[in-house]
Amino acid sequence: MRPRVRLSLGFLFLLAAGLWFLPYGLSSYAIHVANVIIVFAVLAVGLGLCMGVGGQVNLAQVAFFGVGAYATAILTTHAGLGFWLSAAIAVAATAATGLLVATPALRVQSHYLGIVTLGLALAFTNWVTNAQIAGGAEGISNIPVPTLPGVDLSSEYLYYYLELIIFALALAFGLFVVRTALGRRMRAMRDDALAAGALGADVPVLRMTAFLLASVYGGIGGVLYAGLIRYVAPESFSIANMFLLLAMVIIGGRQSLVGCVAGAVGLYLVRELLVDHPTFAQMGYGSVVVLVVVFAPTGLAGLPPRIRQAIARRRGRGRETAAQLAEFRPYPDLSEISLEGGDPLLSIDGITKQFRGLKALDDVSLSVPAGQIRGIVGPNGSGKTTLFNVVSGLYRPTAGRVRFAGADVTSRPPYRLSRAGMSRTFQNLRLFGDLTVRENILVALDRSRTLSSWRYLIAPLAIVRRDRDLRRRADEVLDRYGLTAFAALPPESLPYGTQRRVEIARAVACRPTLLLLDEPAAGLNGDEVRKLGEMVRSIRDTGVTVVLIEHNMGLVMNLCERITVLAGGKVIAEGTPAAVAATPAVIEAYLGDSMDLPSEVTS
Amino acid sequence: MQVFFQTIVGGVSLGAIYALVALGFSLVYRTMGLVNFAHGNVVTVGAYLASTFYLSAKLPFAIAMVVAIGVTAVIGLVIERVLRPLENRDFDLMLIGTIGFGIVLDALVIMIWGATGRAVPSPVPAAPLSLFGLRIRTYDLVVLAIAAIATVLLVLFLSRTKRGTAMQAVAMDHEAATAVGIHVGRSNAIAFAIGAGLAALAGGLVGPLLYVNPALGGTLGIKGFAAAILGGFGSIPGAIVGGLAIGVLDSFAAGHFQGYSELVTFLVFTVIIMIRPTGVFGERTVNRA
Amino acid sequence: MARNRPLYALAVLALVLAGCSAPGSDKKSSGSTTGPIKIALVDAQSGQLSSLGAWELKGAKLAVSEWNAQGGINGRQIQLDVFDDQGDPTTGTNLARKIQSEGYLAMIGTAESAVTIAMAPTLKTAQIPNITSGQSPGLVAVGSEFLFLNGPTSTTYDETLAKYVVDQQGIKNIAMITNNGSYGKGEHDAFTKALAKRSVTPVADQVVTTDQKDFSAALTAIRQKSPKLIFLGAEEVESGLIVKQARDLGITAPFAGGAPQGTPVFLNTAGAQNVEGTIVSSPYLSNDISPASKKFADAYKAAYGEDAELHGAKAYDGAQIMLTALKNSNVATGKALADAIRATKYQGLLGDFAYDNTGVGIFATSIGKISNGKLVAATS
Repeated sequence: MRPRVRLSLGFLFLLAAGLWFLPYGLSSYAIHVANVIIVFAVLAVGLGLCMGVGGQVNLAQVAFFGVGAYATAILTTHAGLGFWLSAAIAVAATAATGLLVATPALRVQSHYLGIVTLGLALAFTNWVTNAQIAGGAEGISNIPVPTLPGVDLSSEYLYYYLELIIFALALAFGLFVVRTALGRRMRAMRDDALAAGALGADVPVLRMTAFLLASVYGGIGGVLYAGLIRYVAPESFSIANMFLLLAMVIIGGRQSLVGCVAGAVGLYLVRELLVDHPTFAQMGYGSVVVLVVVFAPTGLAGLPPRIRQAIARRRGRGRETAAQLAEFRPYPDLSEISLEGGDPLLSIDGITKQFRGLKALDDVSLSVPAGQIRGIVGPNGSGKTTLFNVVSGLYRPTAGRVRFAGADVTSRPPYRLSRAGMSRTFQNLRLFGDLTVRENILVALDRSRTLSSWRYLIAPLAIVRRDRDLRRRADEVLDRYGLTAFAALPPESLPYGTQRRVEIARAVACRPTLLLLDEPAAGLNGDEVRKLGEMVRSIRDTGVTVVLIEHNMGLVMNLCERITVLAGGKVIAEGTPAAVAATPAVIEAYLGDSMDLPSEVTS
Repeated sequence: MQVFFQTIVGGVSLGAIYALVALGFSLVYRTMGLVNFAHGNVVTVGAYLASTFYLSAKLPFAIAMVVAIGVTAVIGLVIERVLRPLENRDFDLMLIGTIGFGIVLDALVIMIWGATGRAVPSPVPAAPLSLFGLRIRTYDLVVLAIAAIATVLLVLFLSRTKRGTAMQAVAMDHEAATAVGIHVGRSNAIAFAIGAGLAALAGGLVGPLLYVNPALGGTLGIKGFAAAILGGFGSIPGAIVGGLAIGVLDSFAAGHFQGYSELVTFLVFTVIIMIRPTGVFGERTVNRA
Repeated sequence: MARNRPLYALAVLALVLAGCSAPGSDKKSSGSTTGPIKIALVDAQSGQLSSLGAWELKGAKLAVSEWNAQGGINGRQIQLDVFDDQGDPTTGTNLARKIQSEGYLAMIGTAESAVTIAMAPTLKTAQIPNITSGQSPGLVAVGSEFLFLNGPTSTTYDETLAKYVVDQQGIKNIAMITNNGSYGKGEHDAFTKALAKRSVTPVADQVVTTDQKDFSAALTAIRQKSPKLIFLGAEEVESGLIVKQARDLGITAPFAGGAPQGTPVFLNTAGAQNVEGTIVSSPYLSNDISPASKKFADAYKAAYGEDAELHGAKAYDGAQIMLTALKNSNVATGKALADAIRATKYQGLLGDFAYDNTGVGIFATSIGKISNGKLVAATS
């Protein structure tokens, strides 16, 4: 590890030195292009944070850029404020705009968000074209040169250093965000917003944060632009430039900020080189975009890992390093919890859920006391998963109430339920595919609020310390579940049974009081099912109440203390496994579904 | 009052064009899950082809249109082949991939036809009708009629023909359709060809109303996409309603807010989408979560 | 790794030292005295405004090839290189630096005032004279002695127009429809001012956007005021659309406006019968207004296979002025060249150019009227 760190530090140093000395070899034209490129790089990092890391389609980045530039221009020329004061206000104004643009993201995503943000960007250009204060179509000229004691920033060579330093800080902050808790949570949300919410990530706040970051970077870019060009006009913030920016981010690799920067530099240089052949340049640049999307969807940033993989494959490595799943180490037994005692932890009262014409749940009531392992069984389509989705806040019930830990939690958003101590797994596995196994666990371990992210600005060291602590605890979890060997791998590369275990480990890492398992044994072999049973029992013994949906009757009969049977959206029986198995209604329901009789108990 | 109704008439006439563009967007999206941002550029190509056959080859307008639709549909097949790897990708990639393709088409148009553009004289020389002080262009009526006929034909094709129902099946469930032996690839290609044909229809029809130049498709594309979203992405009636709604909204915004019309149009659009995220008729698509 | 440490230290030292002395300060690239004379043409060759750029290029190229065919200047050929500003001010500022560092003596373009204004400070510092095709009063406001216009400003266009319409024809019942782009805004302000001077208030003042396609609301509002004349401030295509839609709405009042309304593009977009009677204030009424313009139009048609129009003619004049100044000054550069341009008296397609200190060389437009599909000089 250490030599590699040294090596990359050395590389970084050389790069920094190279960038520092760059102006000495450049003509005034080249330095101007370099300055413009840095502005675009800052914008690209912001867009990368929002779109690549946060998964929020943002076609309004160019409007953020515009707000920053225009605010600086207006404040310096009309209000006569100094450049730096104007700049600070401009960035604040852009951040406010960012939050405003983010509000649609709370309701819509994907292409809907795309057209909405694009529309808002058009609305911005339209506004500045008309508004008297923004100078109309002619724009605002004569923006004063930013002043800095001892440095003449009207020289583009010296302005380069100002930009370079701000850019370096911006990039470093971006990377810091990506590599610590906030960025991890944003990436989790990008991969699977539903699962992220169920793990306690406050999705609405996260989406706002993504746009906030994008807008702040846009504002900084705008300020730098205003100081560099000292003229703003609506055309600079056109849709064409938005698409250019987007192309930079995609070509560079949207999930990597360094890739975004590489894309910005590369694309701008190519366009600049081909400036004498505009139509061919246009054609070439369009084709490159298509080719990248088709053949290298991870962009330039995705190339080195792919090459490394290819080399590794050629050398025949990879085969030998098939990691082994280790045994689960049971938790120390803490069970002094008396069964069937005290208030119910979860009580569901008269829940009905209607989908258009279909009544998926019909007046379902049940209550689960603390410390119990409860099984929910029933034929396919009987409403089991719907019930879980209602309980965990994914669905809003048509009627009825859910009480959890003494509070009415009906229709609370999933992340709040997660914070209250409810945790769940999903029938068809919802692991974060672009995160490693360790990161999947880390997302669950992080119980902080996204709102507290302001500490990134004032107490970065505390963030680092907390992250180190989280990593230590993640390693403990991985170790307990025997997953240490897979820590750095993407979940998709693991066998199915191992993925199931990762999902359970992740759900337990939330430190829930109630654990909802949706078909945890699906796809597992006999041995894995047996281990699963032990695992669930050990988890319960730490004081966690468990409710599981399962088709594997052997597991249900063995593990569950009580069973609730659903059929056609109604509770048809509830009781101990033996009692339920003997209920005529249950047998009938299962025969009707031509399923195996639940009495077929094997272990 | 007169201003009010005249504004509606003006909005509806362009709205019909937006509706045709939106139909193309929606048809391709519901069948193959592709949000095709190059659709606006296909409109430009169609407009140029139609005007070329009409002006340079001196074909009668109707025949020029039919030929243009045919040629554009063939081009559409080629585009589908090129864009096929983008189908059902995540939105960001699709967005940028199809935009990239649009940039290429744009450059091709400039190479072939030049950057300056051309005016297309109206093929219907009759004077506008006057109704209670309202003036209605005869050509607008032609456009509306053709748009209506195209929609009816499309609906009939989708519901009554074997190929059409197969495409409906693909739109509803990709995998199940494959399982019952429907050739999904062919279905996609046909959807794309029809989508391109609709784009050519829109472009050809709009030519005499506006001015054919390389930038023609850009605005039509964005407004058409907004229309498709507003109506419910992938829904056929949604595309029609959305197109007319955007046209009328635009027209009123222009009347009341003058230069600020675009700002108002998109703000209103944003608010509507926030209130009803999946549009008037709800989204129809092959991807489902 | 550890033995690299001194190396790092050295690098740091170098860095610190280097940081003290500022880099940069270009060696002034004074134009060489041999080889071709390099002139840059900067205009949108792609994007929304590419048609303007294409026309300009054709006009300027025609002038340059005529000079080259006659042996160039002082035996040196003229090299006209095209740069695409994409209609984007940012790209424009890049190009300003580029033509500076690549040693171009002068620049022709751009057609978009915003881009020209963005480029002006750099060109001023680099002392590169620029003849632009913009006509916005904002260009004059820049106050650069290196910036020249190849035509009159909006003020001239509209003052002439107002004089003809109000003073000579006695029309006071005037409606206005203009777009919010830099051209339309300039026209709006200039014409309103010209009217105000004559104490005339427009009966309607409608503003549309540059990419609006349906004007029924604005035009119906105008129709209700039944004006005698409608002032139109928009580029060729949009003007054509507005007139076409106005006629469809039953508006019969004639339109009046600046140069775009005299172009074939306007005429074709609107339809010949719809533009009948349009009053145009333009320095270049048509291709057959004078022997010079006929000669230009023939050469243009021969070279490009299409009819010449105003933008080509303006760029042609601009290029001619530039080349004449280069010849008169023995291929001077920088300030001397700018002074030479200012001193150039040139009889061009648009009229007689004589530059003043604001960089405007022509202060007159003629009034034309479209009759039988042709723009002819108006007889008042």
